[in-house]
Amino acid sequence: MPTVVLMDSSLSMTRPVSVEGSEEFQRKNLAVHGLTMLFEHMATNYRLEFTSLVAFSSLWELLVPFTRDYNTLQEALNNLEDYDKTCLEAALQGVSNVVQQEWGTSCPCQVVLVTDGAMGIGRGSLRHSLQTLKQRTDDKKFPLPFPFPSKLFVMCIANAEEFQASDGLDNLELLISLNGGDGQIYTMEGPLCLKSVQAMFGKLIDQAYSPLHAVLRCGNLASDVQVFPRPEPVLIDEEVDPIPKTVQTDLEIVGFIEIGDISSPPVLSRHLVLPIAVNKEGDEMGTGTTDETEEEPSTNQMAGKSPNFCVLLHGSLKVEGMVALVQLGPDWFGMLYSQADSKKKSNLMMSLFELGSEPLPWLGRMTQLGPASDAAENPYGEDDSKSPFPIQPKHKRSYAQNVTVWIKASGLQTDVQKIFRNARKLPEKTQTFYKELNRLRKAALAFGFWELLKSVAELLERECTLLPDSAHPDAAFQLSHAAQQLKLASTGDSKYAAFEHNITPMLTDFSGGGAERM
Amino acid sequence: MKTFSVSHKTAFVVDHCPYMGESCRQLIECDMLTKSRAQGVIPLAPVSKSLWTCAIECSMEYCRILFDIYPTKKLVNYIVSDSEVHILNNWKQEHQNTHELMAALATVGPPNPRQDPECCSVLHGLVAAVESLCKITEYQHEARTSLMDVADRVANRGRIICLTNAKSDTHVRMLEDCVLETIQEQNKLAAGSDRLMPIQQCELVLVHIFPQGDDTLVSDRPKKELTSLLTSEVHSVRAGRYLASKLNVLVQQHFDLASTTITNIPMKKEEQHANTSANYDVELLHHRDAHIEFIKSGDLHMAGSTSRDSGLKETVTLKWCTPRTNSVELHYCTGAYRISPVDVNSRPSSCLTNFLLNGRSVLLEQPRKSGSKVISHMLSSHGGEIFLHVLNSTRSTLEDPPSISEGCGGRVTDYRITDFGEFMRENRLTPFPDETVDTLGRTPIERAKYQLERHTRYWPMIISQTTIFNMQAVVPLANLIVKDTLTDEDVLTCQKTVYNLVDMERKSDPLPISTVGSRGKGPKRDEQYRIMWNELETLVKTHVGNSERHQRVLECITACRSKPPEEEERKKRGRKREDKEEKEKEKNGKDSEEKSWTADAKPRGGWDVTDTAQNKMVYKHRPQMTEFLNQKNELSDIVSEPYRALGPVLYFSARSPRIPARNKHAENHFSATQMSHLHKALVACHCKDPNGVSAHEASFFSR
Repeated sequence: MPTVVLMDSSLSMTRPVSVEGSEEFQRKNLAVHGLTMLFEHMATNYRLEFTSLVAFSSLWELLVPFTRDYNTLQEALNNLEDYDKTCLEAALQGVSNVVQQEWGTSCPCQVVLVTDGAMGIGRGSLRHSLQTLKQRTDDKKFPLPFPFPSKLFVMCIANAEEFQASDGLDNLELLISLNGGDGQIYTMEGPLCLKSVQAMFGKLIDQAYSPLHAVLRCGNLASDVQVFPRPEPVLIDEEVDPIPKTVQTDLEIVGFIEIGDISSPPVLSRHLVLPIAVNKEGDEMGTGTTDETEEEPSTNQMAGKSPNFCVLLHGSLKVEGMVALVQLGPDWFGMLYSQADSKKKSNLMMSLFELGSEPLPWLGRMTQLGPASDAAENPYGEDDSKSPFPIQPKHKRSYAQNVTVWIKASGLQTDVQKIFRNARKLPEKTQTFYKELNRLRKAALAFGFWELLKSVAELLERECTLLPDSAHPDAAFQLSHAAQQLKLASTGDSKYAAFEHNITPMLTDFSGGGAERM
Repeated sequence: MKTFSVSHKTAFVVDHCPYMGESCRQLIECDMLTKSRAQGVIPLAPVSKSLWTCAIECSMEYCRILFDIYPTKKLVNYIVSDSEVHILNNWKQEHQNTHELMAALATVGPPNPRQDPECCSVLHGLVAAVESLCKITEYQHEARTSLMDVADRVANRGRIICLTNAKSDTHVRMLEDCVLETIQEQNKLAAGSDRLMPIQQCELVLVHIFPQGDDTLVSDRPKKELTSLLTSEVHSVRAGRYLASKLNVLVQQHFDLASTTITNIPMKKEEQHANTSANYDVELLHHRDAHIEFIKSGDLHMAGSTSRDSGLKETVTLKWCTPRTNSVELHYCTGAYRISPVDVNSRPSSCLTNFLLNGRSVLLEQPRKSGSKVISHMLSSHGGEIFLHVLNSTRSTLEDPPSISEGCGGRVTDYRITDFGEFMRENRLTPFPDETVDTLGRTPIERAKYQLERHTRYWPMIISQTTIFNMQAVVPLANLIVKDTLTDEDVLTCQKTVYNLVDMERKSDPLPISTVGSRGKGPKRDEQYRIMWNELETLVKTHVGNSERHQRVLECITACRSKPPEEEERKKRGRKREDKEEKEKEKNGKDSEEKSWTADAKPRGGWDVTDTAQNKMVYKHRPQMTEFLNQKNELSDIVSEPYRALGPVLYFSARSPRIPARNKHAENHFSATQMSHLHKALVACHCKDPNGVSAHEASFFSR
């Protein structure tokens, strides 16, 4: 989940903070201090997160485009300049553009707004923006809610007391609820100092940037893993089941399926599954990535050299072209597979299916999947030539069952033509002739379209009189028989108009073999 | 995201009164053949559908699209009204298909012109529809029973679509009032019943149908809230194709559908031009979330959407894209939505759907005037259903991750990749659709987890951690011992495997012991066998709890495993030193407490697990085994012959081919005579067993 840090660099951020007995700080310094802490945390524990830095005042500027290079972000932060007044609306529009350009509209993002809470006055102020919310034209819409799923965090370099006199906090809360309600406002507790800004950013880190540590199990084989990005809680039905579900920290493999059988399933999100070494005290030793700066090389090397189940699993999934089904919670499943990027680097990836007992119709209910060895007959065949998937639905879809639709005249005409095309090739086409005739009969009866039955009967009778001399004598018999049957059906007499009844070919001396000839 | 929205239940009420038998006055020429043949034949008069026929076929089309896209949880109750009410189906899922409805409609037939118009009314049907909406569906029932304490969260809402020919706006108001009154009455009734639920919200959609050429007596009216319970809207539509397109729009509105037109479909021309091909378009309906990316980014128009058919609906155009994709590729797909072709019987539609139903997939790209091509969707069928998959076409946040080889365990090179591949094949899943729980009350998925647990009780991850899994000779036993239950025949196969190992040891066949990490040639031959036997015992011990037959396999091993007596003393002396060395080795990253690894749940290396108690037991058995070995001198010649050729097969490379599981059982064939010799020898040896542990074994052999 990429992050946009939206940094207030208006003049009010340079207001000094009175700190007893030490050098004088500006609010900006506190903000920079907090962000430095956040960046350091991310560089260590959340290093795959893409972050960008946008500064704003009356204008906005993209200082650092999305990157994982936290040194660049830090550098830009240190060189931040001071500008004029606060004008949040334009900045939010800027964030919206920056994110959409990079990630489209389906990728969830986190926006961290760092401000002193003085959201401007008059035109361009947040209050003004919110007051004019309902008077917007389509081309001047308020940027919230963002078109992409997002969380909005507001870090106020101010304490709650400062807000008491104004509606600043209310406006910020309105901002979050406008965006769908995901996110939070943080204010500083106690005096404005380095300690309290640390505490505030610490809360943000705990809430939004703590990695998910889990155990991946396959029977008795197991590995400690970090799942990145952290899977978000999911809501199934806000009415019947309003509590968001979270991924459990025990990821249990339930079995394996061929890639061809799982067949590009739709997923809620994708996550890297990175094996981590956890030492006895339960402290993390890092994801084992080649990181020269903060880890002793020996620990990493050791972690690299002791066998890890993730690596084994990944290797075999890749070689065999299979996926592992993994249970993420009650009635929630996902799949593990090997994913290679363009640089031929491959990795263990986990995709989350939609919550519920049957996320993929072609696999059926997840809880009804069991070991193939329990089946009376090997469902994959002795030579792996078969597969129990996909599961066939009980009823065929309309496009798979030759339904009759006469909404357009051409549909009806085609069906009538089909009958007569076959009629002219009687007795060779007796079977198809009656098949088409019965199809038309059934539809006409269901639609209450008896007039059509009469018309087609008349057409058949006329066809009979127009038969050339060379025609097979059976043709005449079948045509008049068919015509007669349609006429009977068109009376609606239950004896002849039963829906499931089929007109069968007339048995004649000539047609004795009619059926067999087909 | 609501399961029980207004769309959960749809009641169709179709007017079957005599006036619905009137012609819609749109003529259809059926007599198409006269043009080409037999001059002088007077063409037959064209036919014309009745209002009833129009209403039926358009409502069936509505249902066809609905059932194609929502095979479950969106239910239709079809009601026909004249002097009485004909209810053609109920809310049960099994009755939700057009075939059953068509059959029921056939028994109703067209309106009877001789019926007394005074007795006939669509009101009967509307009352029945309200009553029906109060009836609980199986889904509502299921949700209510599973949410006992908060059962009131399960809502009861519904929609009534009434196809009729109304007299006037006043008549329409009368119908609305009637529905509202009935809802209020029925809600009182429903409050006191278990099988009924009061209606919380009802949407009445009145469609007034009138023949071509007539002036409408009823005016259109957009949706209006009559009370908090009932909203109503009126559509005044000419019969025939106008009605069809109105219901097509309604089904899209009611079920959040959107339209995509696949363009540039290459297709062979019909018959006379069989060799040429042309490009065709096919329009599909599906859930509108398949367009979510276009809708959100606001470039619905950029993506090639066009207004069609009187500007009522929009369709997004996507281009057929070659090359096609293959099924073994795992696309990053963010959604898959069932489709229904708008014009299901047209040749382009059926060509496309048949192509997909045959198992092929098509990628679709957004038509762009310039720039790179963006593939945003894929059409693919699964089990006879076609889905429009939404593919992610934006930058991934997971790009450039650290390779797995850079992380934990990434430097290890001798993982048992091929073996684990085989393990995965053996643990593939299959559906058990008719079986919820087995005799032990386990669901299929619980059995799958249990099987994985059994199969991994002892599973060394790297080649240098194991001896037995590198030996072809152990395979039959290793495959069988993980089973939940063993047959007598299985036990026999395991015992044969053990005897075979005994024989290998006697002949001092080399074992594939890893020399990794040790200097020189590695352990001596007899030490190798000690390691091998220990590992085999470890494997079997993890399964002795399964059954008495598993226990028998362990007994066989403990009875048979041995070392020549003259070496025993030397061994004992050397043991202390060796153990020390081993411990030294183990300290690096491994728990020295691994002998209790079963409880630890993290088996890492089993062969160096040497429980002292276990060793004592081995030595206790040893004198008998010496006798056994002496006795079997003569028979070993017979036994060993077929194995000399086989020998122990070394598998150090992960790439080396393995004999597939299905062939594994074919090895180790003892002839009947060989076996009889063997078990005679064993019986002789076991009879002296003071513990008498193998009495049953002896009896088995002498059968």
